[in-house]
Amino acid sequence: MDKKEILKLEYTALNVRRNILRLIRAGEAGHVGGALSSVEIMTALYFNLLRTDPKNPKWTQRDRFILSAGHKCLVLYSVLAEKGFFDKSILDTYGSLDAKIPGHPNMHKLPGVETNTGALGHGLSIAGGMALGFKLDKSDSKVFVLMGDGELAEGSNWEAASASSMHKLDNVVVFVDRNKLQISGPTIQVMSYEPLDERWRAFGWGVKVIDGHNFETIINTVKQAPFEKGKPSVIIADTIKSKGMSFAEGKVNYHYWKSKPEEMEQAERDLDVIEKQLKAKSEGAGL
Amino acid sequence: MMNELKDPRKTFGEAVIEAAATNENIVVLSADSSSGSGLGDFPKKFPDRHFEFGIMEQGVIGFACGLATTGKIPVFAAIAPFVTARPFEMFRNDLGYMNQNAKIVGRCCGLTYDQLGATHHSIDDVAIIRTIPGVTIINPGDPVTIKKAVHAMISHVGPCYMKIGSPAMPVLYPEDVEFKLGKGIVVKDGKDIALIATGTVLSKAFAAAKLLEEAGVSVRLIDMHTLKPVDKELILSAAKEIGKIVTVEEHFIAGGLGSIVAEICSQECPAQIKMIGIGDKYASNGPYEELLRQHGLQPDQIYETTKKFLTT
Repeated sequence: MDKKEILKLEYTALNVRRNILRLIRAGEAGHVGGALSSVEIMTALYFNLLRTDPKNPKWTQRDRFILSAGHKCLVLYSVLAEKGFFDKSILDTYGSLDAKIPGHPNMHKLPGVETNTGALGHGLSIAGGMALGFKLDKSDSKVFVLMGDGELAEGSNWEAASASSMHKLDNVVVFVDRNKLQISGPTIQVMSYEPLDERWRAFGWGVKVIDGHNFETIINTVKQAPFEKGKPSVIIADTIKSKGMSFAEGKVNYHYWKSKPEEMEQAERDLDVIEKQLKAKSEGAGL
Repeated sequence: MMNELKDPRKTFGEAVIEAAATNENIVVLSADSSSGSGLGDFPKKFPDRHFEFGIMEQGVIGFACGLATTGKIPVFAAIAPFVTARPFEMFRNDLGYMNQNAKIVGRCCGLTYDQLGATHHSIDDVAIIRTIPGVTIINPGDPVTIKKAVHAMISHVGPCYMKIGSPAMPVLYPEDVEFKLGKGIVVKDGKDIALIATGTVLSKAFAAAKLLEEAGVSVRLIDMHTLKPVDKELILSAAKEIGKIVTVEEHFIAGGLGSIVAEICSQECPAQIKMIGIGDKYASNGPYEELLRQHGLQPDQIYETTKKFLTT
């Protein structure tokens, strides 16, 4: 990928993080940790990988995106708004009565949202059904899923994992946002999923383990899917929870953030620093 | 021929195959359950439209949801508690909340899995599924209406739950009986008592109504084959014109037909209601007809309960 394209994505990711803070300012609290850890994955999907049209959100030939970890909705809303699915002013309604952007996404309220998730362990089965429908219709649309790593303890995921490989759903690409933390502590101490890559392989999936904050890696990896002929693909993306907020990165207690004014100011300063770094980078590269 | 016996599962499966012949969007999902649901011939006739998943009912509901988003009409039939109580959250969120056009069929419902015991009985399915907004619940009581219910369910756009039993059922209706979702059938009119029945024990109510008529009681017999949306008008006219209602169901009294009738009457037209069904306990195991007797669901028992109720 050329540097200009990557830099553009990095600027978009910065805007997405700013949108996430905008949502938190409106609602005063939200599931910020897992939203921030998956900003690069979501930005890569919506600004490079997904076949989608914000002006025609129900386009039948579109790829589908399912946010299985529905509590990461802040990043979904932020990316959809950035992409132009709806006006950014909607972000200022987070937490208000009848807002189109509830604490877990609702497809009936907002264009671009494909599923009503929130209860964990639902997304993979729904994705499998969509992928099966595309196969029946001989459509080349793909189904992308974002899961949390804590979510993997739900047994229903493994029902869906078996069925997706059994039915050879090579049009499914799953990201596991492995930020390694959940409410009660480090995920592998709460309920270990290791060895995670081997586990998915044993279920009949093609597996890649990548740095989930590196655009070039994310995009190049997705472009290789299906990783194995006739198999669904999973990308285990190693990430940092609350990435971009210096005081919260990798800390368990920011899974759900009830923001204090001084923390919000710090979070904004952190993003200003990222913006300066990006400027320096673009000037240095003569872009 | 009236009172000929037919296998409800076979009848159901034949109706699905008939519908699938003209509607190519119909797909059948199986949790190791198609052959036991009367759908053994479906994969032979439509091999590309039948998907086997093995025993994973939660996941199958999710797959049904996903398929429905692409315009398919998934039909998923399995043992009733395994498509209702077990995957309740998937039913609620993936089909109800997402309002997806999937058809879930609980077979061997009620006590019809008789000697297999309480894990396999489904006497709470109406109570739990009817809490899901937008789901249509259909509980046909004879082979003729099972067939009509399948076609009505396929034509209806939206999530549906349909119940069918297991033992052979008597044919109660002529082939040309009118069947409309949400509209109960007034089998016969009467003025002393309204007998409202649903599903597998409809034939017991038919027989009880005959006994009552023979004893000089004028019975309005109603088949409430759709429990959601229920035919409120029919319930209220019975409450208003007769004032005494007996409900008959092979289900917990809590949350089933009796509750539905009471919820409507208590708020809009109070009536005396006697609910015949299963109380707050697990049903036992044994021969089906004897289990029904343990819960007062045989015709002579419905007759006695009704006679006594008429004197109160």
